Amino acid sequence: MFAHTRTKVVLVLLVILVFLMPIGAAGTKEKRVTIRYFSGRVETVAWEEEKIAEFERLHPDIKVEFEFQKDASNVMKVKVASGEIPDITTVVTQEFIDQGIYADLSDAAFWNRILPSVKDLCTDLRSGRQYKVATNVTMGGLFYNRDIFRDLGLSDAQTWQEFVSNLEAIKRAYPDKTPLFLGGKDSWTLGHFVEFWAHGVVKQQLGIPASRQAFLDNAVVWDEPGGIMEHFAQALLELRDKRLINSDAITATYDNQKETFASGDTAVINQGMWVVGDILALNPAMEGNIGFGPFPSVVPGLRPMVLSAEDSVWAISASTEHKDEVMTFLNFMFSAPIQKEFSELRSMPSAFVDVTSDWGVIKDDAKRVIEQYANINFSTEAPSGLSVDDTGRLIQKLLKGDYPTPADFATSYQKLWDSSY
Amino acid sequence: MKINTTGWHKYMGLPALLLFATFFLLPFVRGVGLSLTDWNGFSKPTFIGFSNFIAFFSDERALRDVRTTVLFALASAPLLNLVGLALALLLNKGFRGRVVVRGLLYMPAVISPMIMGSIWYLLLQPKRGLFSILLERVNLSSEMNWMLDGNLALLVLVSVNVWQYAGMTMVIYLAGLQAIPSEHYEAASVEGATSTQIFARIVFPQLLPSLKINSITNIIGSLSVFDVILALTDGGPGYDTESLSIYIMRMSWGNRGGYSTAVAMILFFIILVPVLLALLLFRRTEGI
Repeated sequence: MFAHTRTKVVLVLLVILVFLMPIGAAGTKEKRVTIRYFSGRVETVAWEEEKIAEFERLHPDIKVEFEFQKDASNVMKVKVASGEIPDITTVVTQEFIDQGIYADLSDAAFWNRILPSVKDLCTDLRSGRQYKVATNVTMGGLFYNRDIFRDLGLSDAQTWQEFVSNLEAIKRAYPDKTPLFLGGKDSWTLGHFVEFWAHGVVKQQLGIPASRQAFLDNAVVWDEPGGIMEHFAQALLELRDKRLINSDAITATYDNQKETFASGDTAVINQGMWVVGDILALNPAMEGNIGFGPFPSVVPGLRPMVLSAEDSVWAISASTEHKDEVMTFLNFMFSAPIQKEFSELRSMPSAFVDVTSDWGVIKDDAKRVIEQYANINFSTEAPSGLSVDDTGRLIQKLLKGDYPTPADFATSYQKLWDSSY
Repeated sequence: MKINTTGWHKYMGLPALLLFATFFLLPFVRGVGLSLTDWNGFSKPTFIGFSNFIAFFSDERALRDVRTTVLFALASAPLLNLVGLALALLLNKGFRGRVVVRGLLYMPAVISPMIMGSIWYLLLQPKRGLFSILLERVNLSSEMNWMLDGNLALLVLVSVNVWQYAGMTMVIYLAGLQAIPSEHYEAASVEGATSTQIFARIVFPQLLPSLKINSITNIIGSLSVFDVILALTDGGPGYDTESLSIYIMRMSWGNRGGYSTAVAMILFFIILVPVLLALLLFRRTEGI
């Protein structure tokens, strides 16, 4: 009887123990932290998902909630407005920096590995601190069909006249091909002409730091008689009048631009290196046939230029509650092997000094051009309300003939610029 | 115990009223408030009175967009009605394959206007578009650029809009036509009425409810046009074909939340006035 009672007691204790086990386990298990990562980089979504899975395997206590949006800059505005700022983001604007949305990254250890020129471009002029970090360098300039250039014995144009004469030579030798193709319906592609060709003049004249400050202080005069914008408008009109650009320059699309270059029907396009992957996807045979060169200055007496700027930026929310976990994730993503993969995936050189990658078919040209010609950056300090879409539309109107003179175009640009501050 | 349900019917409308208040009244009131501020989308809004409304009337781009929007509606709304009515009258007659033709004509209406605009863009592109290729085949110039001139582009936009929605207008007219008793036609024929007289005296008066629905929906749809323009011309060249709805979106994305809300209020009244006038006109006509 006693043995029977003891068995009963043991059984009851066992049952109690079984019920209490989950409570005990909950007390000992570490809490899993979730960090939110919001990206707008369309080209790397699948790759990033793969890397995040790898990171979560290595750090089971951290979950990365990854969100991708094509229209990321606008979605980010909505997120900021509704107070749902992601812990990590690829969307960085001067306006958000000014509002204190991002955390100060100035003391982060990774800066020792980043190119000093890229660190400079990541530095906020107002505070002298870094609120973003860029992992890559992008370049913009003229992409040309190497076979056509070789056939006609053409090389990088050193002046505007040489550039026009190169295009005229192409037109004479290949009447069925377009010398320079513009995809103006996607007005940002035209806006980049202003960004590269017109703003580039100021950047070369003043140097990068002084030009950034001048943009910030609204100290640049665009509508000066005989000034930058008049030269710029005159240059584009010359290309149109000499029929050196496509007749549908205003209504053709960016896709048309890529297709016509990939098929060999166009000799030159003005683009950034983000276009290379798409061209090769359209026509892999173009691999050895894509040349890259500088664009000439529209103002006489200046050197040809190439855009060499920071790309693939990251920022951390100033209000994140998980800064340590966020830094763990960033340090993982910034490791040399992962950045090598990223650089090759994006076909862009890495900004990390310890990363050597085989990033693309224009690698040798890019190295030569960057060493030989004036380097300019993106106009990140231009007024916040000024978009490349708006400036592109001014060029649509210019090419359509809505401005009686280049001076009228310059006046309109100045007006748009001033109203955008 | 018997529950007294007398008077419960008074509350049956509450769910609908709640939905209306949540999705229309509250946003509208909030919109009115925001339109009087300098809200940029994320900062705290500051009251600035009627400055946004005053700014609108000195904004060249906005006023051009009003002109574009009104021109689009003036061409599109009547054309939609005329084409829809003509198609309905044709397809109200008995012939083989009538159902298939009706289906085909209605089909564009179920396709997204964004997709429709993109398809027409691909058809109309100079040199690369299907029309250009066909013109080239018959030795005609393939360089015609329909989207280069603002007025011509607007005409194309109206045509695409009419092509897309005429089927929908047609269906409403067809429903109206089929509700007319056949005895009315027979009696008119016996009396020796001509087809014009039958249309004017028998058909048209009985089609007034359909005309009313089509007119109101087409006025609203045309004045708030957005997708087809965005896909076909993106508002270009320059801002020549930009509608007020697209302008509101762009101002909103351009960190001018308060101003874009004020423009949205103005668009609301631009739509409301012709709708009210049309309703008044129909009320008088129906009263005759």
